[in-house]
Amino acid sequence: MRGRIIHKSDLVKIVEALMKTHRVVAPFAGRGRDSYFDVVTNENKNDIAIHVANPYYPPKRYVFPHMHKLMTIKAGDKPSIEPNCVDEKVAVFGMRSCDVEGVFHLDRFYLGNAFKDTYYEEFRNNLFIVNMVCTDTKTDIDDDCFCVCADAGTAAKAHFDLQLMDLHDESGEFLAVAGSEAGEALISQPFFRKATLAHVSRRKSVLGEVRKRFKTATSWYSAVTKYITHGGEIKDATWKKIGDRCLECGACSYVCPACTCFTVTDRPAGDGTFNRVRVWDACALSGFTRMAGGHNPRKAVHDRRNRRFFRKLSHYFIQREFTMACVGCGRCVRVCHGDIGMPQVVEILRRETAALLQQEKA
Amino acid sequence: MSHPANHGRLCVRGWHVHEVASSPDRLRTPLLRKNGDLVPVTFDEAYDAIAENLSKIKKQSGPDAIGFLDSARVSNEDGYILQKFARTVVGTNNIDQGTSFYRTTTVNVLREMLGIAAATNPLEDVFTSKAIILNEIDIGQQLPTLGGAIIRAHLAGTKLIVVGSRRHRVTEHADIFLNIKPGTELFLYAAMAKIIVDRGLMDLDFIRTRCKGYESFLQNIQSFDILHAAHRCDVAPALIEQAVLLYCQNKPGMLLYPSATADIDHDALSAMVNLVLLSGNLGKKGSGILPLSEHNNAQGGCDMGVMPNCLPGYVKVTDATKRASIEKCWNAVIPQSQGRDAAEMLDSASPIKALWLDRHNPVVSASYKDAVEQIKKMDFVVLQNLFLTKTAQFAHVVLPVAAYGEEDVTFTSTERRVQLAVKAIEPPKGFVSAWQQVVAVANRMGARWDYTSPRNVLAEIAEVVPDYSGVTPENLGRDYGRQWPCTQDLPLGTPILFTESKNSRLFSFATVSMTPPEAGANQEFPFALTFGHSLYYWHQNTLVRHSETLKREYGILLLDFPEGFVEINDEDAKGMSIRDNQKIKIVSPKGSAQTFARVTSEVRKGSIFIPFFLQDVMKTIGRDNVKNTFVRIEKAG
Amino acid sequence: MSCKNGNLYQPSIVVLDEVRDEIKDVKTFFFHFENKTQEDTFRTFMPGQFAMVSIFGAGEMAISLPPSPTEDRLFFTTRKVGSVTNAMHGLKPGDKFGVRGPYGNGFPMKDYEGRNLIIVAGGIGLIPLRSVILYALHNRSKYGKIQVFYGSRTPTDLMYTENLSQWQEDKGFECYLTVDKPDESWKRNVGVVGSLFKLPGVEMPVPDTTVFVCGPPIMFRFVLADLITMGFKDENMVSTLERYMKCGVGKCGHCCIGVAYVCTDGPVFTLEQIRKLGEVI
Repeated sequence: MRGRIIHKSDLVKIVEALMKTHRVVAPFAGRGRDSYFDVVTNENKNDIAIHVANPYYPPKRYVFPHMHKLMTIKAGDKPSIEPNCVDEKVAVFGMRSCDVEGVFHLDRFYLGNAFKDTYYEEFRNNLFIVNMVCTDTKTDIDDDCFCVCADAGTAAKAHFDLQLMDLHDESGEFLAVAGSEAGEALISQPFFRKATLAHVSRRKSVLGEVRKRFKTATSWYSAVTKYITHGGEIKDATWKKIGDRCLECGACSYVCPACTCFTVTDRPAGDGTFNRVRVWDACALSGFTRMAGGHNPRKAVHDRRNRRFFRKLSHYFIQREFTMACVGCGRCVRVCHGDIGMPQVVEILRRETAALLQQEKA
Repeated sequence: MSHPANHGRLCVRGWHVHEVASSPDRLRTPLLRKNGDLVPVTFDEAYDAIAENLSKIKKQSGPDAIGFLDSARVSNEDGYILQKFARTVVGTNNIDQGTSFYRTTTVNVLREMLGIAAATNPLEDVFTSKAIILNEIDIGQQLPTLGGAIIRAHLAGTKLIVVGSRRHRVTEHADIFLNIKPGTELFLYAAMAKIIVDRGLMDLDFIRTRCKGYESFLQNIQSFDILHAAHRCDVAPALIEQAVLLYCQNKPGMLLYPSATADIDHDALSAMVNLVLLSGNLGKKGSGILPLSEHNNAQGGCDMGVMPNCLPGYVKVTDATKRASIEKCWNAVIPQSQGRDAAEMLDSASPIKALWLDRHNPVVSASYKDAVEQIKKMDFVVLQNLFLTKTAQFAHVVLPVAAYGEEDVTFTSTERRVQLAVKAIEPPKGFVSAWQQVVAVANRMGARWDYTSPRNVLAEIAEVVPDYSGVTPENLGRDYGRQWPCTQDLPLGTPILFTESKNSRLFSFATVSMTPPEAGANQEFPFALTFGHSLYYWHQNTLVRHSETLKREYGILLLDFPEGFVEINDEDAKGMSIRDNQKIKIVSPKGSAQTFARVTSEVRKGSIFIPFFLQDVMKTIGRDNVKNTFVRIEKAG
Repeated sequence: MSCKNGNLYQPSIVVLDEVRDEIKDVKTFFFHFENKTQEDTFRTFMPGQFAMVSIFGAGEMAISLPPSPTEDRLFFTTRKVGSVTNAMHGLKPGDKFGVRGPYGNGFPMKDYEGRNLIIVAGGIGLIPLRSVILYALHNRSKYGKIQVFYGSRTPTDLMYTENLSQWQEDKGFECYLTVDKPDESWKRNVGVVGSLFKLPGVEMPVPDTTVFVCGPPIMFRFVLADLITMGFKDENMVSTLERYMKCGVGKCGHCCIGVAYVCTDGPVFTLEQIRKLGEVI
């Protein structure tokens, strides 16, 4: 990849260039440590937050909206079904590497496998991703982040259109790299200039420094597969304890960049017309698996906790694709009422299997 | 993520609240009853009709023939303007939120004993407290965000004592679970007080410098017999003692209780506050007593005077001096005698002829005996709501209002936090806030009100309610709202009440009366009743019904149990050979009702739990005297 | 493929031709596609597959396909049990609804050629297996011994009685019926489905045989125990699993069990696969 340099005062020019053809969203700072994605306008484009906590409401919604009308159905003698197609181009200026990895995960899930999801494809084809690498250890990263353990950060390796990285020196320069044709087109604009080897080595040293910020840089996640094979031996009592800490809010699935479940419902729009709407769903909720007639194979809350862990870190993805459905963004840690986000559950299971492994050795 | 009350965490309902505004079932126009049917009209036509009819009824039958009911969910602005309209334009004190338990218990007892009827400490103090007593609330389902905070605090070392007749998820984390018989809180807390005194564990310093009435209290508790209390509660005395020690030896300690359950009556709450005073758990971080409200603006509504006996700021309607100063502010006369509350307005003997309902739905609320009959008798009913509720069948005018997210208003949470709800989207064309509709009607009835924006209303609230005198949109917007008292001297608000000891009002101990055992459980009616909510039945279910996901979860309970259910302890069920989902009959001295059994270990042995949505069952077997209703279960058909 | 052309979620419009009452709360709905090309594509379905059916205004649900691809008429058989089935039961001939599919892996009927087929069904579990039976009967020479063991609670709960009497009379294929609670006219076996295995004269070959099982969970458990005792191996016992489905194409997540999505990896699974799913079903 060819590197380019842009000064931080010129970053807004990227936004302006994108605004000509896309609806641009970017992170803005709220109160305290809060941040949120919002639409960029001429009035607020200079307030875009470059170094800020990762917005908690995930940008996966730009490819997989929280609520999206799939089609309009007119019932009656001459029923008609009108699909609601997506044609708006959206550019996310400032998506973190963990979220970029999340979008890639969603790409593989929605576009790979047996079927291609039509709507996801449209959203994805209309999306332009500007990845902002996390480099500021005080604002960009907090104690709950663990992208290095999920091999998703802090700099995404691919799957973005353009990547920007603050080089954190007196020059105020950002290193830019294109990841797609569209990104190449943007990067050849005159407000970028060529990078030198010095810039590249500066990037390396910044990334090396940033890794130290993480509580555990060792990827204990990759070791998780070993523990999973002992999955059948984790005591029921352990899962029950985890289940007791779950208040069934669904937040872990809603905020996860790698969670994909949804439900579809027909909402009346008046005059015999219905909007078939797709909305986010969460396997944390007990009705997720309930069948008409009453049988619910996953009724107990600890069964649902168990299922989440195994599906995301083992069964479906590791066994089929050698990947994980976790990008280390830390959102599930932040939103969980009972402190049973992914790393905490892994830790609990690690301790239990370590004890088992000890016994086996003895 | 930085919000001090929830640190960014939401419960499942919070994740779906945005669906209310976008629901396809929202009312699209005002409706006026013409020739028996509700037909769409313009807002102006609707306002005209209301003003005309209210004026007529006021003239013919007097102002007290008109009643006003709103909900503990409407904003401060809505509540304030409505009560001002009732009092100064119509001329009646018949105004209520309909949360009578809250008012008669929490407001009365806390004002009497502490001086202020509100949570003494912020919610996030659970993290600094060393011991928490959580009383009779399924907090994991009713207030999951706080329930989660308690779980996390406990994981970090805070001791947790759970008191209740029902075993719920947060109970699994308790260090001590006092599984008392339903309705026996009074005995438990009285016993705990006695143990503290007998063992000398009280904070004498605190008692001597900041309390009064200690002597009479000491006399009162002499008659308490711990063994007898333990027997009434059906909990081992040793366990009660352990709980007391845990609470007293791990300071600061907090006591949390649900402010609107019938189980905790005047005396039971007094006994709880006595405990807080004895242990000196007031005025410090991590201490205090928290009445937990399940409605987002029950606190605010009371602060705004939406009560038949109090004006804004808890000024008693009968207090001539203080009333006069508010009259001066309003430049109007306020009626002098206490008004009727919700139950009285909808009672069969009620003289009310016209009713104004702001998001109050008496027809489906379980609190009323037979609201339908009373409302049918009304000459004129005005209804403000987002949706066409069941009560609307009987309304003469229906006004659709702006939803949450479509208006700039304020709410006051259970921790006295006055917060801005910022407008994020435009309401449907022509829709305004409920309070603006009241202003439109008021001006047609002779008022000359000029509130051009919500900030005008807030400015007036700040003038009238001393504890809100420092509240401005800028002040509220700077951080995360302000906890009142928020005054000119305390512009940043008051997180913890009662921190200063000089020149402060003395707290009062209370004496309680231990009622002799009632005609309680006996052979014929061996089960005690408890009532409550379940996770997806959330009061009037407005939110649940309009969210696709919540509707599915709620629909499931009804699909699994189409005729409703009551919960029975699994051991009791086994003893009666009753299976899960078996049809049963509940029989009380007043009547019987058919329903289905849901067998679970969460319910205490010897008690039956009825979810609030079972209105038919509740009406049939008698909701009047909750604590003292005993039933038996029979297999049906 | 795009949103307007080849949209994965767009149902095809079908017309209801006839409604037939089966047992209590169960009806069969005969239909045809408005568009002939769409019908031709649909008719490539195999036994064991299912379709996503949209009742306009009520929603969409997964329904198994009871007809064999060798039959003329297309139909669904459903019990009235949820909001969508309730709406479906209110339809009249001439009404239109939507169909997407066929989805699922289906039974690999080609792989079973040359083998004996034993079909064990309970109650409405016969619905998905009906397709297998009829397909095998229409391709009789390709399969070995064919036996059907079917039972329900009472005689009025027996599904597809028209087919059943026909099957009873057919030679070259055995059909055994049972009920838990007989009425006066019932002359045949009384007892659970497993009791049919022990009837005099019933010989169930184990080698080169595939057993199909479908029915309520409790029947499943007991029948499986019996079959295992008889010596049938896990990889030769096959069933079709049911789950709440919202998309039918492996995206919404509701039907996921362990490593599999019932809608794309199933709904047909061998017992061996079921044991390895990673979650109790």
